[in-house]
Amino acid sequence: MPLNKLLITLNVVAAISCILLTLKVVYMPFYAKTFLADNYKELMFQCDNVMRDHMIAKNRVLHKKTEEAIKDLEAADIGLLTCHEYDKYRKKLLAYGLTSDDLSLIGLEAIEEKQEDLLMYVQTHEFKY
Amino acid sequence: MNLNTNLYLILFIFISTNLLGDGGQEKILRDAILKNGYKSPEDLYIANDELLVDEGKIFFKSKHLSLNGQISCATCHINNQGSSDGIPNAAGIRGFGEGKERLLSGAAIVPRNTLGLWGVGSKNFLTFFWDGRVDFANEKVLSQFGTDVPSLDPLITAVHLPVVEIRETLDEDEFVLLHKKETISGAQQVYAQIVTNLIENENDAMKKLANKRNIQIDQLTFLDIATSIAAFIRSEFRIKKSPLDSFIKGESNLTKKQMNGGFLFYGKGNCISCHSGAHFSDQKFYTIPFPQLGFGKNGFGVDYGRYNATFNPDDLYKFRTPSLYNNGKTAPYGHSGSAKSLYEAIQAHYDPFALVKLNEYDDLERHQLYKYFSNSDAANKVNYLTKKEVDHLVEFLKTMDFN
Repeated sequence: MPLNKLLITLNVVAAISCILLTLKVVYMPFYAKTFLADNYKELMFQCDNVMRDHMIAKNRVLHKKTEEAIKDLEAADIGLLTCHEYDKYRKKLLAYGLTSDDLSLIGLEAIEEKQEDLLMYVQTHEFKY
Repeated sequence: MNLNTNLYLILFIFISTNLLGDGGQEKILRDAILKNGYKSPEDLYIANDELLVDEGKIFFKSKHLSLNGQISCATCHINNQGSSDGIPNAAGIRGFGEGKERLLSGAAIVPRNTLGLWGVGSKNFLTFFWDGRVDFANEKVLSQFGTDVPSLDPLITAVHLPVVEIRETLDEDEFVLLHKKETISGAQQVYAQIVTNLIENENDAMKKLANKRNIQIDQLTFLDIATSIAAFIRSEFRIKKSPLDSFIKGESNLTKKQMNGGFLFYGKGNCISCHSGAHFSDQKFYTIPFPQLGFGKNGFGVDYGRYNATFNPDDLYKFRTPSLYNNGKTAPYGHSGSAKSLYEAIQAHYDPFALVKLNEYDDLERHQLYKYFSNSDAANKVNYLTKKEVDHLVEFLKTMDFN
């Protein structure tokens, strides 16, 4: 009897483990790719935006060291905190089982997202001379 | 005098005043054109390295000029598209065919509109590409090569750039990844490999080139190839006689619409504030609010233009004033090709919101657009124009076209 109980318990544990493993390996990455990727792209865009603003503010100080330019740079320094949200979200997606390659691909899609607009524009308009 | 005599006299004065008026108007327009830097085609041509034109033509059309991308200069500088490619953003490696077919075949997109080549090897043409990556104007020698500039001829230096641009003519294979260091020495390795590639695949042309340069074939460098391609471009895409040139020389007249367009160009439209000089371009940089199409040089639908070459925030969103020769043949227009006609290209200067569908923008995109448009240099230069006036301006611009 105790052996049977042990076997049943082991079966239950194995079944639950299988379900959890399936959730972890298959469902969670699928969920992240399907439902969380757009948020990730949005945060990436926002982070990229503040990073570029920061770079521009830095270059402005290099070109013209005015008080106004220095104030803009200080604001841009703090603005970089936006990227913290992006970093946290990136880690969350990694925890969901996406790989760095998956994230790079999503990032590339985000950068080139407007390619679709371009293709649609070209399909719509014919340039004739 | 009787009534009939009076009527004839009035009629005579009316006709002669009008004739004189027309002649006067033509003189005013001719003077304005000449005063703003017009040069006739024969005065613009530079007859450099003409002996190398035939070989340059072969290399211009050879896909072996691209190390691994199966693409040539002629893929994007197409004859029947006015030496441009007829699509908003250029279609680089990994595609098939030309123009629209190439773009839709999945080619890697080069996020700028291909510029036509008309006059690029002529006198007074010293600044190249949308962002002026090669800028020899005002005795400057600015390029990505720093002090190691391959040639003091800006066209020859400019020819060096597309062949080392990833997506444009280079794919990232093992060799390219190894030398992709954003350094001149890395680029030199690629140039040496292109020369080897051409010796293998365009052997006859390379032998002839070596012969004309009085060296052995294995002594040829990419500079020799670039020199021959520049010679071909200079000759093939030279500025030729246009209806405008005939008008200036008094050989023919412009139509009423063309004349009106001319007066708008030099007057109310103030086009001349930037489109002046021998190529109808001052070769300087301005923010003209053409909507961005495609993902842009900086990604996410953003293109910082000249800033990418100088990193000076004053240059944000600025692009080089394009030349206007043969413009009627090089649609679409603007740095990302978002204006599909000359009409829209003119409209972008004084009413850019007519070209964007704001309701299709998300919040951040709208913010980017606001940032970009608020930098506009055109707002205080170009006046409002009526539809009819824009049509007349288009007619005038077409007088700069030639075959």
